[in-house]
Amino acid sequence: MLSDFLFRLRAIFRAKSMDTDLDEELKFHLDRQLEKSIQSGLSPEEARRRVRLDFGGATQVTEECRDARGIRALEALSQDIRYGFRTLRKNPGFTCVALITLALAIGANTAIFSVVHGALLRPLPYAGPDRLIVLNETHPRIGTITVSYPNFLDWRAQNHVFSGMAVMAGVGYNLSGIAQPETIRGQAVSSNFLSLIGVHPLFGRDFDPSEDKPGAAPVVMLTNPLWQSHFAGRQDVIGRSVSLDGRGFTIVAVLPPDFRTTDAVSVLEPLGVWLTNNTFATNRVNRGDTAAIGRLTTGVTLARARAEMEGIAARLATAYPQDNDHFGIALQPIRELFVGDIRPAIMVLFAAVMFVLLIACANVANLFLMRAAGRTREIALRVAIGATGGRIIQQMLAESFVVAGLGGVLGLGLAFAGMRAMSRLIPAAAMAGNGMNLNSAVLLFALGATALAAITFGLAPAMQSVPAGVHSRLKESGKSSAGGIRQNHWRTMLVVAELALSVILLAGAGLMVKSVERLIAVDPGFRPDHVLRLNLSLTPSQYPNSTAILAFWRQLLDGVRALPGVESAALGTDVPLTNSHSRGDITVEGMPLPAPGSFPHPDEHDVSPGYLRTLGVRLLGGRDFTNADSETAPNVAFINARLARDFFPGQDPVGKRFVPGRPDPGRDLEWITIVGVVDDTRMYGLANPSRLEIYRPLAQGPPGKMDLIVKSRIEPASLTPSIRRVLDS
Amino acid sequence: MSRIDLPQGTLDLLILRTLSLGPQHGWGISERVQRLSSEVLCIQQGSLYPALHRLERRGWIKARWGTSENNRRARYYELTRAGRKQLETETGLWKQLTTAVSQVLGEA
Repeated sequence: MLSDFLFRLRAIFRAKSMDTDLDEELKFHLDRQLEKSIQSGLSPEEARRRVRLDFGGATQVTEECRDARGIRALEALSQDIRYGFRTLRKNPGFTCVALITLALAIGANTAIFSVVHGALLRPLPYAGPDRLIVLNETHPRIGTITVSYPNFLDWRAQNHVFSGMAVMAGVGYNLSGIAQPETIRGQAVSSNFLSLIGVHPLFGRDFDPSEDKPGAAPVVMLTNPLWQSHFAGRQDVIGRSVSLDGRGFTIVAVLPPDFRTTDAVSVLEPLGVWLTNNTFATNRVNRGDTAAIGRLTTGVTLARARAEMEGIAARLATAYPQDNDHFGIALQPIRELFVGDIRPAIMVLFAAVMFVLLIACANVANLFLMRAAGRTREIALRVAIGATGGRIIQQMLAESFVVAGLGGVLGLGLAFAGMRAMSRLIPAAAMAGNGMNLNSAVLLFALGATALAAITFGLAPAMQSVPAGVHSRLKESGKSSAGGIRQNHWRTMLVVAELALSVILLAGAGLMVKSVERLIAVDPGFRPDHVLRLNLSLTPSQYPNSTAILAFWRQLLDGVRALPGVESAALGTDVPLTNSHSRGDITVEGMPLPAPGSFPHPDEHDVSPGYLRTLGVRLLGGRDFTNADSETAPNVAFINARLARDFFPGQDPVGKRFVPGRPDPGRDLEWITIVGVVDDTRMYGLANPSRLEIYRPLAQGPPGKMDLIVKSRIEPASLTPSIRRVLDS
Repeated sequence: MSRIDLPQGTLDLLILRTLSLGPQHGWGISERVQRLSSEVLCIQQGSLYPALHRLERRGWIKARWGTSENNRRARYYELTRAGRKQLETETGLWKQLTTAVSQVLGEA
């Protein structure tokens, strides 16, 4: 089949030399025949006459040979395509409508497919990504939660289902020593991490197993984007030092461009650096920003691995009830981690644009049918002078392929523009590697969509144009040009299909609008409009104790509040919708002690006075914090409405007391008095339920990292430069 | 003996069979068929060349330029591996056909 096609193609391109070859070949034959006849005793004239008679018309033989070589079919095709272009030029209105319709549909499909490809289809930049499993802990009341490092060590030692297991701990740093200090995120990883996921540094060295132990020297690997933006992609960065939180880290490697890990990070550091003087490393109950990744041993299914890890979790819960009561282990294939949330949205969008493409095809098919109505006479004439049905269909299809091809090219341009717009709407974390682009797979898809479109909208008009009987056609179009019954039949079917598709699309779109409306109607418990948030962290070396830290925060607040345009300003940790949190058990005074895993486990915020007003969180009872709630004053807190409902049903919680953590006989209880109740906030997105929350005054334990929130009377972003000036001073 | 025009569909078989004896140009093929059939079978030149090009397109024979017995440039055809296989199939079919036809004729 293929060789036959290649032969024909060659025949076309070399048609000229083949024709001369053929002439020479036939001449040779004639000459030999002539010789033979003369030898047999005929006179030269008589011989020539006989031979010519025998041979038949030379032109006819040549034609038949060309036919046999299969040139004619392809010649006809190129003729049809040229004819298609000509008819399109003659009908600019028709052409424009058809092209715009197709370009929009093919463009939308290609753009969305580039997302599907980038997020769902493209292989992840790992070796054997299907066997890479991300492990977290789970708790029935909390859901998925990060991993306790001592637990990780036990998992790794006790399991038989993973051929290797690595750990990643999130870290945050102030990157300084550059024009504008900034906060960056990083991960501390065990030395087997890169080899486990099958990634090699672009250049430089991998971490060494000796760097897994506390006391390891501070070294970092740079991700490619950081290397490009801060070191201009220079090769000589190895051995140079970067300042993270004021401490010099030696650069040992640069990661490849497509590198990605479970978090958006700029640097990797050895696990040993993170383990040094870190209570998270030794305290089993602490669950920091830590996750594990394992490679399934060949032949082990995910279900078997889950069963085995469940067994390990149960053993650990029995062995360490204070730390592990009710805790299980969650196993998630790494691709699911990246695209889990966004997959349905992408698939819905893809289905929607597919429908749009089908509707566009139906529309263009209708246009073609209408035009064909005016062409019945032309077609009838063609048939009358000898065109076969197949030939007519080929001609009509060639026209639709020309239209679809042009539409496809325009669509690609639209897709390219659309991709740039979309890349700003889709979280980068969901896109494997470098986000979306026009790669060969996407181009192939566009080509496929174009061909499919051409056949879909070309076939109906082509089929119906095949004449049932030439006579009836000539007569029919003599009377009117509205087209016959058959044609109306096709058009009715198309309209029905179009309507059905449109109804599906409209219903889908309506449901989506409804969902968005319901999300908007959700009361988030705070008012984020005109609020600016800046993430700030202090360098431990410069601010060694809580007095210094508190002094800085107070000075900063005074400075920002004095800026023109600022209505109010406050500081807080883990403000809503940022997805960061810190949580811990509390013990409420007088409550019966539950099992270790069933203590109330609220989110904790440290906030400055003015936090509630700045974020618009309603105070339901009690009082706001003031500057009088200082380090030396009695410990106080707010709780949110849900905590009040759950633990003080039917009572006024103001004046009640609790302690952080679980009761410890050897420790004096530092009671915290509840002074206020605030409304629930949708901390983790509008679609997620509210949780238990407590708020503590900033002065009674000032943290080194906080969010500055500023409510302004003017456009919030315009405040950024003046706030930066306050920060610098 | 009078000459017989070729029955439908046997031309390809004859060409393939002739070329199985060795490479040959178009005129040589028609001569060889005539001689092997004791001058009974005669290939119309007008159908020989289209047939050759068709067989070439199907990949059963291939052509190259060579020098003829009388020192002229001539286009020589030879059997390909696929052509050899095709010859076997068609020969088999032909034998079945002729046996069946002569059986019918014999009984009539």
